Amino acid sequence: MPDDPSAPKTIRVATDVGGTFTDLVYFETDRGTGEQAVRTAKVDTTPPAFEEGVLNVLAKGGVDVGTVDFMAHGTTVVINALTERKGAKVGLITTQGFRDVLEIARGNRPDFFNLKYVKPEPFVPRYLRREVPGRMTFKGEERQPLDLKELDLILADFRADGVQAVAVCLLHSYANPAHEQALTAAIAERWPEVTVVSSHQITREWREYERTNTAVLSAYVHPVADRYLGRLTDGLGAARFDGSLYIMRSNGGVDTVEATRQIPIIMVESGPASGMLGAAELGRRLGLPNVLALDIGGTTAKCALIEGGQVRVTSDYWIGRSRKSAGYPIMVPVVDLVEIGNGGGSIAWVDDFGKLHVGPQSAGAAPGPAAYGRGGDQATTTDANLALGRINRDFFCGGEVVADMGAVDAALDRLAARLEVDRREAARGVIRIANNNMINALKLVSLNRGHDPRDFTMIAFGGGGGMHAAALAGELGVRRVVIPAEAAVFSAWGMMMSDLRRDFFVTHLVDATPAGLADLAATGREVERSALTAFADEAIAADQVRFTRFAKMRYQNQEHSVEVPLPDGDFDKQGASVVDAFHGLYEREYTYRLDAPVEAIGLHIIATAEVGKLQPVRLPSNGADAAAAVKATRNVDYALEGVHPATIYDGDKLAPGMRFTGPAVIEETGTTVVVHPGQSVEIDDYRNIHILIGQGG
Amino acid sequence: MSSPTDPAGLGDPVTLQIIQEALTGIGDEMFAVLKKTAMSPIIYEVLDAGTAVTLPDGDLAASGSGIPTFVGVLDKAVKRILELHGAPSPGDLFVTNDPYFGGVTHLNDVVLALPVFAGDTLIAWTANIAHWSDIGGRSRGSMSTQATEIWQEGLRLPAVKLFDRGRMVQPVLDLVMANSRLPEFVRGDLWAAVAAARAGERAVQALAAKYGVAVFRQSLRDFLDTGEAVTRAGLCRLPHGRFAVSEGQDNGEVWSAEIEISADAFVVDLRHAPDQSAGPYNTSRDGAVIAAQMILKSITAPDTPLNGGSLRPLTVLTRPGSRFHALPPAPHGFYFETRIRLHDLLWRCLADHLPDTLPAGGFASICGTVIAGPNPDTGRRYTLVEPEIGGWGASPGRDGVSALFSGVHGDTFNCPAEITEARYGLEVGRLALNDEPGGAGRWRGGRGIVVDYRVRADDTTLTCGYTRAVQPPWGLAGGGAGTPNRVEVIRAAGAIERHAIASDIPLAGGDTVRVITGQGGGYGDPRQRSAEAIDRDRRDGWERNQAAAE
Repeated sequence: MPDDPSAPKTIRVATDVGGTFTDLVYFETDRGTGEQAVRTAKVDTTPPAFEEGVLNVLAKGGVDVGTVDFMAHGTTVVINALTERKGAKVGLITTQGFRDVLEIARGNRPDFFNLKYVKPEPFVPRYLRREVPGRMTFKGEERQPLDLKELDLILADFRADGVQAVAVCLLHSYANPAHEQALTAAIAERWPEVTVVSSHQITREWREYERTNTAVLSAYVHPVADRYLGRLTDGLGAARFDGSLYIMRSNGGVDTVEATRQIPIIMVESGPASGMLGAAELGRRLGLPNVLALDIGGTTAKCALIEGGQVRVTSDYWIGRSRKSAGYPIMVPVVDLVEIGNGGGSIAWVDDFGKLHVGPQSAGAAPGPAAYGRGGDQATTTDANLALGRINRDFFCGGEVVADMGAVDAALDRLAARLEVDRREAARGVIRIANNNMINALKLVSLNRGHDPRDFTMIAFGGGGGMHAAALAGELGVRRVVIPAEAAVFSAWGMMMSDLRRDFFVTHLVDATPAGLADLAATGREVERSALTAFADEAIAADQVRFTRFAKMRYQNQEHSVEVPLPDGDFDKQGASVVDAFHGLYEREYTYRLDAPVEAIGLHIIATAEVGKLQPVRLPSNGADAAAAVKATRNVDYALEGVHPATIYDGDKLAPGMRFTGPAVIEETGTTVVVHPGQSVEIDDYRNIHILIGQGG
Repeated sequence: MSSPTDPAGLGDPVTLQIIQEALTGIGDEMFAVLKKTAMSPIIYEVLDAGTAVTLPDGDLAASGSGIPTFVGVLDKAVKRILELHGAPSPGDLFVTNDPYFGGVTHLNDVVLALPVFAGDTLIAWTANIAHWSDIGGRSRGSMSTQATEIWQEGLRLPAVKLFDRGRMVQPVLDLVMANSRLPEFVRGDLWAAVAAARAGERAVQALAAKYGVAVFRQSLRDFLDTGEAVTRAGLCRLPHGRFAVSEGQDNGEVWSAEIEISADAFVVDLRHAPDQSAGPYNTSRDGAVIAAQMILKSITAPDTPLNGGSLRPLTVLTRPGSRFHALPPAPHGFYFETRIRLHDLLWRCLADHLPDTLPAGGFASICGTVIAGPNPDTGRRYTLVEPEIGGWGASPGRDGVSALFSGVHGDTFNCPAEITEARYGLEVGRLALNDEPGGAGRWRGGRGIVVDYRVRADDTTLTCGYTRAVQPPWGLAGGGAGTPNRVEVIRAAGAIERHAIASDIPLAGGDTVRVITGQGGGYGDPRQRSAEAIDRDRRDGWERNQAAAE
């Protein structure tokens, strides 16, 4: 580690490239006193040369790159390449008889009354999808040897057609990758300069369409992401960076640049994942292990459930999936979150039948909400918040923008006319519908999975988190909301709180008998061994690595499995208690248990290693009264609760130990926190804002 | 609770809308539970299932994901249960699978309906339906082409109570298990359905408790009224008049139908249907109504939720004793092919007039495929039950979609080859797009598929229900016809048999079952196909596909 113990300070930074802005969080910890200083900065994102924005934000934040010990980095470069279709030209090689799987997909039509549904177009057209003979069985036994005699011809065609990356996916490679490995090696030998991505390197789970598409999308983004990471490393090197650089992955952990360059598709959801991970880490520090995490940005809101301090990670992840489209699967470990098109910039509209809707269309950064005065004439959630006095019209965007209230009123009046109500009712309706959209998303991750939101603390962040959290919590019966001190740049903050983390999902079907579980345990040991070897190659010693294991179990003949935590050591020797744990978890989620044989379909193994994450320190309380932070009083419309004179606090002046009660509004540069009548507020030792709701009521 | 915006205390418009969206969420939640807990791949993988919330009188309030034709069953099932049993009690839960007792489809499809109470007041029902792999009867998988009476198709559950005031009626479960060839599966699937209905019950009760029963009811009334307004607005945009269609069927019969569209009514006249069949090719009247509902919804407002109000302008005229309104004891095993033929007939009736909504004819068959036998890897018996995907018709401006489930399906998924091999011990030799010539046009039809299942064990049987096996999918505006759906059995010795509707075909180790689904119909004159499209066809290996029709 480059962390020099003789240096007076440890410096950690996180940079997060988002769709609109690139964020920086800078933490300086004095080794002697433990005192910490934090700085944040924001610049415009600079597509397609995203690395420039990173260097810009470091410069704007006054960071001397040469002094940085630890840098975490998250980026939208992968998801951008996918959604804008700006990746490589990919050729696919697959098992004989299966080249059309990529186009056949799963045959589903989610938009089921629409008889003119269009299937998502495959990322590789048919002429670039080729086949080789050879078969494995689901047990991993060779049924027909791999035959490579056509390979030269295939590669010659690919070369002639300008293919830039080759994806390989063969049937049952999750059970035995030998054929995929042989094919991959043969391609590399014949065509060393081409990128080859083979499915088993990314996932060891079954379902050929999902795995094939994963290999294809990974190949598709590989050259773009590799170039990006190369330029980023070079750019930082030129700025004399010699600390450790870690890249945020979609599973809520960071990983080394080298590991990420091998499988860049694992960055696909890095931004959202780091916010959720940050919420989990913050919850653990505050002794609040059960958290509903909510991230409200400009165009979307995302939420995830954290139980026992752990974010749920799944490989059932799809991009572009909706009620209108089947989307594309990517079988990589991704924080299990629900995202809806509902953020500050979401546009309110009225349908032909007088029903009010908010989103998923967003005004974006241009023209932006009507209040920006840049020609936006449709009312957004932000405009409604301004009209109701929840956002301070004189401190809009931290005072950087003069709110165009004429445009706000005009936009809301148009909406009001369609709804046949007055302007105030229209604005209240927008807030209520926006809140309801988020309530439904929060229910999806909690109630719909057998969890009662009343047992959870809500941690809300992103620019819009504080504006809506207290109302949502009240609606769901959540008793405590925490708005983190760095709410507006919390995703970047979360990266600094991350361990190095790798998730392994392995399909291996066994009966939950002593013999079956012993077989499964052997597979687990093999996965862990190869994980340790990879870590060792990156100079991470075995004693730094911690494994957490889950068995994916179900009743025989079912498909969907429950993740059962496994004890440390040889779990197969405690088989009975593992099976008991399955019955219990199953019943909690689904209300019944069966006297039926149980089977395991595989393992989920998480390897984590501490790589020097941030340890925030408690701040001293100076005993000041909250009155010291009061800056004004104004009338705020709380929609259902009516208009109340609210005390306005300057968020930058809030200090540990301060307490006050709502109605109140806390104004900070990047965010506004709305506190409803009857709710009380406490500032904790890290300057996080706690809102307590309905205590005793 | 009254307020300035809600003087009557019946909820302001935003509150009513919030409740309506919550109800839609409940439909989805129930579906998620069913999918995660079911034992049979036909439910959890293929998602051959549906969920809904209905009003106390059975009118559809909100539907979940899954198969829309299945959701259309649930309101009718609840109405029939009310007719048969009168007012339910808290803690009751009904089960039916019988088309003569509210089951609508065939005995394989099991409906659970749970009355939801707020105190003593019935406020809604939650209900679900799923295809069970085996419910007894003379054939494995329960669908037999030999059936001449419903008794030969399996166990009939005539809308009986599975729970009576909160107590489970154990004998019903015992009867179900004793009558299925796959007792462990049906027990698992039954409990999955119970869990789904209860999840919906809890959520509906929470909603009514939060907003009060009066506001909850007002919201449902408003939801249905809006649904009706949406349909009426759609009807206003349609061409008005009387439309007729006649079409030859695979078995040589000619079916005809008439549709009359006006600003406030959509009348489907099916009284000229043939008499009910002696074989299992009948549908209940309710089944025919569902086919008409699907068309009405697709051409009026495909983007908005379907509820009881959306269907108010619909009238369906049927003749008792006919194919679309069968009377006891007519069998129903292959009702699904009759119903999709009717759906396709109504589609064709209007397609010339609605090119923006209705493409040319597609493969339009469920292509129900059942393979049953011993799994050579585990020794356990299995029953593979699957609908198939195929080619859809073209429309102005675009080629047809390839490899999609039929128009009466929805968010239905095919079964991955890797799972088929692991679960059933079959070998999947290929899963490919069908490249035979057909469906030529300025815009050509989408492609069907070819799947090879190699059987590894003796004592295996095949049942199939495919139509459009003789009469191919229809083209439009000069586009060519598609190609027929069929199943081939390729014997180990090399002989090839062709099938469409058959049951209990014996298979031995080494035989291959080849599923072939058709290309959709083309749109427009093939000679007008663009040079660019022809190049793309050639590049992607489809020249054979287009050439034949030129």
